[in-house]
Amino acid sequence: MRAGRGRFPLSAVEPHMDKFAESKPHAAPETHGETALALEGVWRVVVLNDPVNLMSYVVMVFKKVFGFDELTARRHMLEVHEQGRSVVWSGLREKAEAYAFTLQQWHLTTVLEPDEAH
Amino acid sequence: MKRIEIKLSLPVVAPLLDVIKGLSEGLRQDLAAPLAMGDLDAEFRDAWAADLVGSQSADVGELLALFDENFFTEGVIGLDETNAEPVVRACAAVRLRLREKFLKTLGDETLESSDADVAQLDEPVRKAFMCYLFLATLQELIIQHLDSSIIES
Repeated sequence: MRAGRGRFPLSAVEPHMDKFAESKPHAAPETHGETALALEGVWRVVVLNDPVNLMSYVVMVFKKVFGFDELTARRHMLEVHEQGRSVVWSGLREKAEAYAFTLQQWHLTTVLEPDEAH
Repeated sequence: MKRIEIKLSLPVVAPLLDVIKGLSEGLRQDLAAPLAMGDLDAEFRDAWAADLVGSQSADVGELLALFDENFFTEGVIGLDETNAEPVVRACAAVRLRLREKFLKTLGDETLESSDADVAQLDEPVRKAFMCYLFLATLQELIIQHLDSSIIES
């Protein structure tokens, strides 16, 4: 993943909307993984950048998965966008794995890292 | 229950469904986004991947189900609190797969900006890129109108 502009191409979508739509519309995650590892220490959940997912989509996912408010979700999205990665949560390994699973379910590329500060 | 209906241009969108259907079989078998968790126990990792593929497959089924008889007669698709979440996820999965299968030659900068001269693209890249834009549009509409339903569900 490279840092740079336009990573989640939100603004690029609007101009194309008229191609497809003839009219405007009228109108903390549950754990799915069975944790087999019980590693001690503090772990970071890190979301990596990709060139496909929209800014608005990433913000929505962060709000849903972590319960972030709009500002916090946008701040993390912009970190991913501009720096290529963002630490979105840290804590016990088992819960970090549950978050990573849920983020993967939303098609955000996620890694876990040990938090060396703890 | 909040519901939105979107009237689509049938001649533009219907041909793009072939692209989505063509990718759907692969998305029932492999993850659209790579599983980057290298330090997981192999057995655990396999179980994780299988669960994720199952979820992805169900989501893609919901996306395809939008394009029913009502779409082919009236050009209308309906979204509500029950299908918004799987559909918006499925759009992400298909867009990732479109990049992998058809759009890598365009480069990430072009995909990020979604700014390409469609008329200059050769088939099947042109059709894939149109599909990529269409699914982004669909995601935007869902997020714009059903964001709170998804977040609170």
